Amino acid sequence: MKEKHDSTADPQLSNLLRAARVAPPMPPRFAPSVWHRIEKSETPATSATWLDALATLILRPRFALSTAAALLLAGVFLGTVAGWQTARQEAQLNYLTAVAPHFVH
Amino acid sequence: MKRSLVILLGALALGAGIFGGAYFVAHRASVLCCARPTDDLDWLRTEFHLSAAELAHIRELHEGYLPQCATICAKIAAKKIELDSLGTIGTNRTAAAQVLLQDIAALRTQCQSQMLQHFVMVSQAMPPAQGQRYLAEMKRLTLGEHEQMEQSMSGNTGHEHPH
Repeated sequence: MKEKHDSTADPQLSNLLRAARVAPPMPPRFAPSVWHRIEKSETPATSATWLDALATLILRPRFALSTAAALLLAGVFLGTVAGWQTARQEAQLNYLTAVAPHFVH
Repeated sequence: MKRSLVILLGALALGAGIFGGAYFVAHRASVLCCARPTDDLDWLRTEFHLSAAELAHIRELHEGYLPQCATICAKIAAKKIELDSLGTIGTNRTAAAQVLLQDIAALRTQCQSQMLQHFVMVSQAMPPAQGQRYLAEMKRLTLGEHEQMEQSMSGNTGHEHPH
C-alpha cells in the first residue's frame, strides 16, 4: 500500500506548488472581444440579404393587395387612353382615305 | 435566398399579368366603344367639335365631292393599267409611256386642286378657328409628307449651286 500525501499538511509544499503554477498572458483586447461575442449571440437573427427583405415585404397582404390594385388601375387608365388614340387615328384614316385616297400612305 | 428569388420573380410575373390584362381589356373596350368605321365624318365631328347643323352641311359637301374624286381616281387607275400594259420599254413604248405619265400627272393635279377646294369649302362650313385648324391639318396630312420628301431629296442630292 502506498502512503497517501496530504498537501495541506505541508504548508511549505503548498506554497511551492502555488508559486510554480504558470499564468499565461491574456491575448490583446480579450475582454472586449468576449463581450462582443456575448452581445452577438444575444441579438435575434435578421434577414440575410435585401432580397429576403423584399420577399418578406411582398408577402405582406396589405402591400400585395395595394400593389395589385395600383397595377390594375394603371393598366385600365393607360389602356383606355391608348384605345382612344387608336380609335382617333382609325377615324382620321377613314376620313383621309375617303377624301384623299391618292395622298394617304 | 433561392426562395426569395422565386417569390420576387413570381410577384413580378403576376404584376405584369395584372397590368397587361387590364391594359389589353381597356384598350379593346375603348377602341370598340369609340370607333365608328361606318361613318367617314366621325373624325371631323369629334376632332373639330361640330354641331349637328355644321355636320349636316359638311356631309352634303362631302357627298357631293366623293363622286368627283371617284371619277378622277377611276381615270388615274385606267391610265395606270394602260401604262402597265405597255410592257418592256422600247423607243415607241417610251414615248407612249411618257404621254401616259403626263396624263396621270395632269389628272393628279386636277385631283389635288379639287381636293384643296373641297378642304376650303369644308373649313368655311366650320367655326373660323376650327376651320383654320382643319385646313392646316389637312394640308399637313395630304401635302406635307410630299413636301418633306421633296425637301429631303433636294437637300440630299447635292445639286445646289453655291452663289
